Amino acid sequence: MSAFQEPFFTRGPSPLARLTFFTLVAIAIMIADHRFQALSFARMGIGAVLNPVEQALMVPGQIFSRGAAYFSDQDRLLAENRELNQKVLALAAEGQQGRLILAEKPYLDVLGLAQQRFSGTGLIAEVIRDARSPYTRKIIINKGMTQGVTAGLAVIAGDGVVGQVTAVGVMSSEVTLSTEKDQTLPVLIVRNGLRAIAIGSGRGDGTIDVPSLPLGSDVQIGDQIVTSGIDGTYPPGLGVAVVSQVEKNPAFSFAKIVAQPVAAAAHHRFVKVMLKDPAQTYPKPDVGTDDKKTARDAQANTQANGQTAAQNANAARRDRRANQ
Amino acid sequence: MLPEGIVVQTSKPAAMDLSPASRDAMRLPAPLSLVIITIIVSLLLNLLPWGGAALLSHPDFILLILLYWAVHEPRIVGQGWGFALGLIMDVADSALLGQHAMVYVVAIFLAQLLRLRMLQLNVLEQALHIIAILFVSQGIGVLLNLSMGRAFPGYGMLISLMLGALLWPIINLIATIPRLRRRSTGVVS
Repeated sequence: MSAFQEPFFTRGPSPLARLTFFTLVAIAIMIADHRFQALSFARMGIGAVLNPVEQALMVPGQIFSRGAAYFSDQDRLLAENRELNQKVLALAAEGQQGRLILAEKPYLDVLGLAQQRFSGTGLIAEVIRDARSPYTRKIIINKGMTQGVTAGLAVIAGDGVVGQVTAVGVMSSEVTLSTEKDQTLPVLIVRNGLRAIAIGSGRGDGTIDVPSLPLGSDVQIGDQIVTSGIDGTYPPGLGVAVVSQVEKNPAFSFAKIVAQPVAAAAHHRFVKVMLKDPAQTYPKPDVGTDDKKTARDAQANTQANGQTAAQNANAARRDRRANQ
Repeated sequence: MLPEGIVVQTSKPAAMDLSPASRDAMRLPAPLSLVIITIIVSLLLNLLPWGGAALLSHPDFILLILLYWAVHEPRIVGQGWGFALGLIMDVADSALLGQHAMVYVVAIFLAQLLRLRMLQLNVLEQALHIIAILFVSQGIGVLLNLSMGRAFPGYGMLISLMLGALLWPIINLIATIPRLRRRSTGVVS
């Protein structure tokens, strides 16, 4: 008889009870993570420990691939160089026009015609690896909380939108690609300015759907889709996709539009995280804490101010007429 | 004196039961350090930058090691270990938090159900049980993702089950070495 034999009486809850308990906890965690994004801190904590280990584990592979690339990459580099030179030429005119527009922009801002919401500052980040999950389309970049990355920032590359930061670690972040299921982008079609919402299809072919356009809308194969910028997340004018399939079936009220993304996310080594200028974000509505009383006061104020506001408007109109 | 023909059933010790399951009980338990080291090694293997075809088809090393210990050391490794390591793998794989945890807990539960039966069999027959356990538990993981509207990742997952079963005899080899050593030095419980 030793202390190591099977216990005669089972201690603690039965395996089935444990299974039930752990399964329920797991489901609760999944709901908390999926619906409420409530566990980003736990994720960040575990990730802070795991990420250095993962980095270290990638070193042997990198050494190997660099060693192999050193001998074989001459041709590829030459081809890439040629391509980049062509791109510089192709973008030269646009870049200079851009400078002109930027120079004009302060005047427009003064006039109040344009609202600046994007600081234009970005953070260049290196793509470390693809996420290991076979179900989701994510990449891991090497900039995190310490560099000022927050969840929700847009991530772009030279050719267009890559995706959005969805989880931030200490020194790295997860970027969910715009082809991932349910990733939405406010877009417009360049040819006719038609606004729409583009949603990642999540299918294996990595396409983007534009599901909300009615049958009669003017969309053709080959139309370029760019961001419209009305969400305040993605700067306007970034390339998103090119329409590859338009199906107008009268049985449905919306056209089925499928587009191929322009940013080949799998091939980028560097991406740019678009930082938001904290001063330029929209002010939050000032909701009173003394709920009813303040609400009533506010109502009274607006009624009292209504007349003055109207008078102000009239005065402004008179001024303008006088100026003309 | 009792009359003849009446046999008194006395509680005498049963004859030595030498079935594999009971021999297992006579062994020393694996040292906790060995359990932890094997789990750390398997975690490192899981954290390698798997990609491409290997992403789907590589075996889940942590799950295999957990199953091994759940079968051989049920009092050290139980569903709680599966749950904790599952959460770690969720973070590592950027998956929904709780997804691996659920899969691992279900797999260890199945191992707990089948463990006495598996210990009666040889390693190759155990490997067939492992395929079944992996199939059911990974299947739950696939169903979870499908229920969230994600696409089926492909049949490469079946390869990972096969590779897991092929690894089972190897895992058995590695993790029995310290016990063999202990027996040969004469330290037996």
